[in-house]
Amino acid sequence: MGLVFALSPLLIIAVGALLLMMAEVFFKQRNGLALGATLVFATAGAFAGSIWMVGVENLPGIEALSPWLITDRFTLFFDMILCLGGALASLLAGGYLPEHNIDRGEFYSLLLFATFGAMMLAGSGDLLTVFLGLETMSLGAYALTAFRRASPRSIEGALKYYLLGSFAAAVLIYGFALIYGATGHTDLAGITQVMASGKAEMPLMLMALGLVFVGLVFKVSGVPFHMWTPDAYEGAPTPATTYMAVAVKSGGFAMMLRVLLTVFGDAQSMSWSSGWPPAMAMVAVLTMTVANLVAGRQESVKRMLAYSSIAHAGYLLVGVVATMRSQTQASAAVMFYLLTYTVSTAGAFGALILCGSRGAEAVSYEDLAGLGRRHPAAALPFALFLLSLAGIPPTAGFFGKWFVFHAAIDGGFYALTIIAFINSVIGAYYYLRVLVYMYMREPAAGAPVAIPMKSGYVTAALVLSAILVIALGLAPAGTLDMAVQAATHSAG
Amino acid sequence: MIATYAPIFLILVLSSLIAGAFFTGASFLGTKKPTHEKMLPFECGSESTGGRHVKLSVKFYLTAILFVVFDVEAVFVYPWAVQFRSLGWLGLGSMFGFLAVVVVALIYVWKKGALEWES
Repeated sequence: MGLVFALSPLLIIAVGALLLMMAEVFFKQRNGLALGATLVFATAGAFAGSIWMVGVENLPGIEALSPWLITDRFTLFFDMILCLGGALASLLAGGYLPEHNIDRGEFYSLLLFATFGAMMLAGSGDLLTVFLGLETMSLGAYALTAFRRASPRSIEGALKYYLLGSFAAAVLIYGFALIYGATGHTDLAGITQVMASGKAEMPLMLMALGLVFVGLVFKVSGVPFHMWTPDAYEGAPTPATTYMAVAVKSGGFAMMLRVLLTVFGDAQSMSWSSGWPPAMAMVAVLTMTVANLVAGRQESVKRMLAYSSIAHAGYLLVGVVATMRSQTQASAAVMFYLLTYTVSTAGAFGALILCGSRGAEAVSYEDLAGLGRRHPAAALPFALFLLSLAGIPPTAGFFGKWFVFHAAIDGGFYALTIIAFINSVIGAYYYLRVLVYMYMREPAAGAPVAIPMKSGYVTAALVLSAILVIALGLAPAGTLDMAVQAATHSAG
Repeated sequence: MIATYAPIFLILVLSSLIAGAFFTGASFLGTKKPTHEKMLPFECGSESTGGRHVKLSVKFYLTAILFVVFDVEAVFVYPWAVQFRSLGWLGLGSMFGFLAVVVVALIYVWKKGALEWES
């Protein structure tokens, strides 16, 4: 029974996805599908939470699965982030899809299947389950990107994402093959053992590290492997963009922490002179700087938010570099940051959805001009989420950045922290620019004005994210403590 | 271990050198007398007709991909059937779970009309 309980989040998501598929073909009424998907996500998240409360150590028999699927606090923490991201995305879809006349029930099944893959990724204990989870997650994301079939931009973004994504997956699995060749194991625990004993074939392992590194950085869209991100994010329907920015990125970081800290977690691979940290630091600096500079030049708010999500990946990579010195503290900071990033980004995209209606999606800064006066109820949450993304104190985003930078300083990465800090100041420019347009500009005479839509689903998503943004900003201690527990258990 | 593969590497280098030498030699030393006839695209000796793009109905693609899906399902069932006794109840349960997922997919494509050729 312990085994079924430990697997329950995954099982609920899978069964829920299949049920929604059946509901889509047997019932003509589509209004309830978004609610159904949200409930499935909520149930799976609740089960992950209850496994956390019971404690994985109190579940006998779950070791039987652990060579392939690990259920520890690290997995559960990510399960909860992913379910939260999925629930927010399906609530947003519940408002967005009918409004823009692309209401097809497959959206929710695809969301659930992709989340299944991401959760498998978070719990993977074997290179094969890593790859299976990655592909399950990515295939769902590719299909979601192409969901607006009639729009050439959607198709273009999906094709770019698909081609580059499959190429990166091929590079990754080539790396996995070399790891298997060098150590004779595909399970992460076995590889760790061989690496620690120093019996691995070193030149092969180094090549494997390079290839795996590229695959991992691609999935979290680090520069220079970010080229697909703006097009895919802009072309996809906004709820799908939200999902990709939030859940797919969290899945990517779960995979990165799992693989780097176990397979390449030995003293030599984690040293500054002969391991991956300097390369990762370089990628982090490039990611933050390039993304922030380009984001400031965008005219489309959706594309700006896409670049902003790349920039946030850069801050997260600073945390990943810091795992070199203080593994528990830095991974906990990364996990906490992912949670704050999830609620702020989902909220920002949700507010953007709220600002548009059929045939007139809010896209550019101009579309938002004067929104603060015309529709204060839409402008206020938007402002809150942008402040959180910028990292202004009473919001969640501030503490996310605070803990990551703190971990980096404690690890002695002063230069990296200063660059990250300068970048977050640059980042504030383009977030505040939206506020300036909303509250201090008026739309040009005769220009088309975006009219906010009305949807209970979108409102619910915004209220939920706003509550979490404020709660995590006022009282981060309890959640951070959970992240620390999650990180401690994965390190052991 | 790397040393074992040295001869293969040597063959790789030698063969590409020789092939490269032949190709560059041919293009430098050979005489070229291009005529209009010679420069035309060659297709089975007859002149090519029609456009370059042939449009195929998406139905072929759909049928083919569905065939692949259910064919791969059969690929999983065969080794399971061979090892049926040693896998026990867990194996039976897993296979039924797998088949249930595939049946849901089948019902889905059926109800969506993907199996109708006419329409």
